Amino acid sequence: MDAFVVWLEATRLSRGIVGSAWIWPLCEILHFVGLSLVIGIAGFFDLRLMGFMKRVPVAAARELMPLAIVGFLINLTTGATFFVGKPDQYVNNVAWWAKMGFLLLAGLNAMFFETTVGARTIDLGAGADTPRAAKIVGALSLISWLGVLYWGRMLPFIGNAF
Amino acid sequence: MTDFTIWLESSALGVWTRESPSIWAYPTVLTLHTVGLGVLVGANCVIDFRLLGFAPRLPIPSLAPLYRFMWAGFVVNAITGAMLFVSNATTKARQPIFYVKLLLIAVALLVTAVIRRTLARELSPGGIDPTPAPARRLAALSLALWTGAIAAGRLMAYL
Repeated sequence: MDAFVVWLEATRLSRGIVGSAWIWPLCEILHFVGLSLVIGIAGFFDLRLMGFMKRVPVAAARELMPLAIVGFLINLTTGATFFVGKPDQYVNNVAWWAKMGFLLLAGLNAMFFETTVGARTIDLGAGADTPRAAKIVGALSLISWLGVLYWGRMLPFIGNAF
Repeated sequence: MTDFTIWLESSALGVWTRESPSIWAYPTVLTLHTVGLGVLVGANCVIDFRLLGFAPRLPIPSLAPLYRFMWAGFVVNAITGAMLFVSNATTKARQPIFYVKLLLIAVALLVTAVIRRTLARELSPGGIDPTPAPARRLAALSLALWTGAIAAGRLMAYL
């Protein structure tokens, strides 16, 4: 791992990211915009899955999900930029690994939904209650995204600071 | 002004937020500020993108509960934001970008309130209506203002 960090830090890309005055702040701004999209759009769908806001048809709420994916891709790109720039402050940081763990949980949970419960949930209209499995998936999704946010915010405090 | 900000910084709340080694002090206040941001701006995103024409099958009146989430996010961020300000008041009070952030938030909240009133006036309950054009323009403005507020907030660490 240390050899990988040393190699990555020596790349021209990594030096370019750290050497630039504006790349890091710009990526931070975009990372927070992406965060808002994921929390807002995915969170909205999760709440409907959990049985809140029943006047919202499930399929209609899902039509917004591409925007959550856009937010996620923004954060994947900007997050990768941070990582390439300063890999050592992440790979040796327990908060970063926890963040990746919650990210994995969010991904697996979404895959589980798409391949199982999703089919019998997605066509539910306004007023319909969701199956218990969908409620659990929604709650787990919300918890995992808030976990991603929490551990991301804790990067400078719990792990070795910036 | 400086006397006042120094007084704020040396208050018990300022000292605790800034200097307590507890994870419940500065790190938690900052995390809650980020959660509040996600909820407030995120709930705005749902309504704004719907007004811009995304998810046309989503009935706009069914989104009304989101305003409660916006309020919750705003209250959390007003409180945690005040704590963060108190913890470092003199520096922040001298940052022009801080006032830009406050202004953008104030205008964004105003636009949010106008959107809500416009929708209440123009939409019949339960109907899936073609979005009124003023609401569409306001939604685009709202997204721009919230993005600007986020940018100004982040830039406080740099400028």
